[in-house]
Amino acid sequence: MLPFSLTVRPGEPIVEQIVYAVTRAVVSGQLRAGDRFPSVRTLSQELKVNPNTAQRIVALLVEAGLLAVEPGVGTVVTNHRQPTAGGADAATRRSDLAALEERLAEPLVVEARRLGIGLADLVEIVRRQWKRLDQSR
Amino acid sequence: MDHAIETERLTCRYGRTRAVVDLTMRVPAGSLYALLGPNGAGKTTTLKTLMNLRPPTSGVARVLGVDSRALGPSDFARIGYVSENQRIPSNLTIAEIEAFCRPWYPTWDATLATELRERFGLDPRARIKTLSRGTRLKVQCLLALAPRPRLLILDEPFSGLDPVVRDDLTTGVLSLADRDGWSALLTSHEMDDVERLADHVGFLANGALIVEEPMTSLLARFRRVEVALPDGAAVPAQPPASWLGFSVDGRAARFVESQASPAADAAWRSVFPGAAIESGPLSLREVFVALTRSIAPDAGERR
Repeated sequence: MLPFSLTVRPGEPIVEQIVYAVTRAVVSGQLRAGDRFPSVRTLSQELKVNPNTAQRIVALLVEAGLLAVEPGVGTVVTNHRQPTAGGADAATRRSDLAALEERLAEPLVVEARRLGIGLADLVEIVRRQWKRLDQSR
Repeated sequence: MDHAIETERLTCRYGRTRAVVDLTMRVPAGSLYALLGPNGAGKTTTLKTLMNLRPPTSGVARVLGVDSRALGPSDFARIGYVSENQRIPSNLTIAEIEAFCRPWYPTWDATLATELRERFGLDPRARIKTLSRGTRLKVQCLLALAPRPRLLILDEPFSGLDPVVRDDLTTGVLSLADRDGWSALLTSHEMDDVERLADHVGFLANGALIVEEPMTSLLARFRRVEVALPDGAAVPAQPPASWLGFSVDGRAARFVESQASPAADAAWRSVFPGAAIESGPLSLREVFVALTRSIAPDAGERR
């Protein structure tokens, strides 16, 4: 059994899909800091992916700061940045925000406007989604 | 031995048609290599030549270090081969065909055979002739995997099978994958399965290999790019060679970058100053489509 759930969407890159599933589990608290993360071998067998692909997924998650390799223990979930922690310095936060705005906020606003959804409703949707993630743990 | 399979300028002719042209390919030992390409690219011919089912017209293929034309029974005992064209005695039951094959393979693993039979949901008393195509393919895979071959060659193992059977086969192949010194070569059009299973990719077009590299580097190299063109933006008449399938549709320009890197990124921005540019990863299926469309169609002449 894997500690995160994955609904495979055919035709989309498998690595990105799995990285997203793990990221979702971490930010929603389904996976918590210090939790053991499955070995490459287990990931390969459970997800039915090549061991090298499983290895790459772990490497990407380590690079993203969600997992860390602890000698003698294995791969564990890190204490990733909490929204209230304010751990990152101001410059990093600004560039993270700018990246988020360009990459995801813009398409969201564009789609909302296309559908004729108002700003208040859009904000409400984001708020609800924020809460739903917390409940999925 | 660094390579489970290597070919040098392998050429195969059917009459005056060349099916495979100067093919030089390397399947690294320990890899799970997918040989891809559109229909008629020469994949099956290559596999048949590797298995010494037909001789090369010129060039050399070495399989587990042995010239393909010299492959003998002791070599074939270390190779598992599954192809749709294979015939298996249809009057035998699954148990009988297992018993028939077993003595030919010194490395036959009876525990693995039982495990695979159970995983594939095969009834040992069932006669081959009563089985569906998918179930028959599972039997073939069981017979190919149970000897724990050094090399597994699968020609279109997934074609026309339902997703559950494909999943079973994937699991069966991967169950051997963590063993050292084991390699596999497969052809398939089921790109989602290949993307999960393989770690090396070769792409054949018109009998020649145009791509050969690790799966992760191939997938990292290709990106879908979409540019929202500002008013009066100029569009290059001759886009860079690494941009595949460049098209302009109203105010959007789209292409597939085949050499993604920070430098390529900078190139997009210099061609489209001030434009909003979005890019994203491609699945293997999309890479396959982009590559296939980028190939000049084979003139069909007798090369």
